[in-house]
Amino acid sequence: MKIELYLKEKELSLYEKIIVNSIKVRVEKIEARGGVVALSGGIDSSLVAVLAHRALGDNLLCLIMPEKGVSPEEDTEHALKIVNKFNIKYKIIPINKAVEWFSKNFPEGEFKEQARRMAIANTKPRIRMILNYLYANAMGGIVIGTSNKTELLLGYGTKFGDMAADIYPIGDLYKTQVWQLAEHVGIPTEIIRKKPSAGLWKGQTDEEELGHTYYEIDRVLYALVELELSVRETSEFLGIDEEAVLDIYKRVISSEHKRKPPTITRLSKMCLDKDWRYPVERY
Amino acid sequence: MHDNIVKIGLGQIITRLGDVEGNKKRIIEALERGKENKVDIVVFPELSTLGFGSGDIYLDKVDENLKALDEIVKKTEELDLWSIVGFVDKDDLGFFYNAAALIGKGKIVGKYYKTQLVNYRLFDEKRYFKPGCCLPTFETPFGKIGILICEDVWFPEPSRAMTFRGASLLVVLSASPYDRGKSEVWEDYLKVRVYDNILPVVFINQAGVQDGVTYWGGSMIINAEAKIVTRAKLLEPDFVVGEIDLEESLKLRRRDIRIREVRGEILEDLLKAFEEMKK
Repeated sequence: MKIELYLKEKELSLYEKIIVNSIKVRVEKIEARGGVVALSGGIDSSLVAVLAHRALGDNLLCLIMPEKGVSPEEDTEHALKIVNKFNIKYKIIPINKAVEWFSKNFPEGEFKEQARRMAIANTKPRIRMILNYLYANAMGGIVIGTSNKTELLLGYGTKFGDMAADIYPIGDLYKTQVWQLAEHVGIPTEIIRKKPSAGLWKGQTDEEELGHTYYEIDRVLYALVELELSVRETSEFLGIDEEAVLDIYKRVISSEHKRKPPTITRLSKMCLDKDWRYPVERY
Repeated sequence: MHDNIVKIGLGQIITRLGDVEGNKKRIIEALERGKENKVDIVVFPELSTLGFGSGDIYLDKVDENLKALDEIVKKTEELDLWSIVGFVDKDDLGFFYNAAALIGKGKIVGKYYKTQLVNYRLFDEKRYFKPGCCLPTFETPFGKIGILICEDVWFPEPSRAMTFRGASLLVVLSASPYDRGKSEVWEDYLKVRVYDNILPVVFINQAGVQDGVTYWGGSMIINAEAKIVTRAKLLEPDFVVGEIDLEESLKLRRRDIRIREVRGEILEDLLKAFEEMKK
């Protein structure tokens, strides 16, 4: 039993093919005309954009949606670097006015300032989600999500925001594997090396907010999920403080609702989220 | 077939979930390629007519899948071919089976029902299918064939029984979803069955992606000495032809006497041990 996060060269090529094919097949199956990826300039969306472009070519549209003054300018530069390097169609749509509208119409004083700030911060990826679907609908395409397995397990994403998508092509890859695959497909080094950030407020970094490094988180998640160890076993196996493992474990169990469609109250013998089992790609 | 050499076409097709018409078309196209290549038999993956992973569609489209099988059978008559096709069968009591049909030039010569249904992780076959009870072998012009379906080969017993029943070739129909390291494990399992039984094994897997699940293809023919003699592409649909000498295993068994030396009292004790474990 060991932590096997590291992917071999042969596996990276295989993963690339599998992911590209899965995007292509979904688009073909539903007779969509393409797909939309929200490209922040971070590692996850850069990787998805490149893979989706391999699947869809000119039928992929990347939306670069900075909140000017909050999103680091460097991110937009990186997003542009990706679309230019790989020759991907794109649009830049700043979201400041929409954020301002929600902020202005959501009165201060009614809620605790911290909660209010967080609610508004979460509105930003939801604004981007609306734009994703606006374009996807108009072009007859799908929204291609950029969540990875680490984020999905931790629930580190905004429900109906950045998590809103039709498919998650990299949803079975841990963050450390995303870095590897990104390198494999030729994402520029400065994008791979920069500190990951959800970009919800100025100076935010994922690792600071989560309280652990991705290296540590991925090892813990791998032990808990892939090796199916308990919190105590994980702590002993990795030589990591049990409190730290417990903190990560609690995030996993409390975020299950983010990984599932809304729970339906069962009244019939054919409750649609419990008894009815049909594939999406159904003929 | 000549001098005990059987020429096999591996129909590593993509199947689409519930797309019985499309799947039938892909099967017939592969049969036609088999004819062009002058093969004796074309083999197809598990649940080829309906598509593995079809969920409740299995229940909705069983009759449509049986009708498609009839048309495939007719096609083998026209093409003067043998074939093995994975499909969903239905019995008089209305029970469904994950089944394989051995088709000999326009006639279903035998049927095999998967004995080891899979019900863990992403699999829920017991929701739909009744397990088969029997491990037959079937007479063909190329010798006796044993058919296994996917998980059956992860257990030593089914192939063992078929070996005792005189099989000179095992054909494994599969729809194996890709996950990390899976193809290597499969190759090991298949080779272990070859070593156990001193028999060639034909492995036919599905290819392509359905609902985010990728079937890794990589169909292969392994000779009685556990050497891979024919291999299809990974991930993509493919049609490859390979030959196997069915006399080979008999020659090997002249000196490798393990099958002959299997002891009945050991098998009886094995059964006793199994009963003890179940208590």
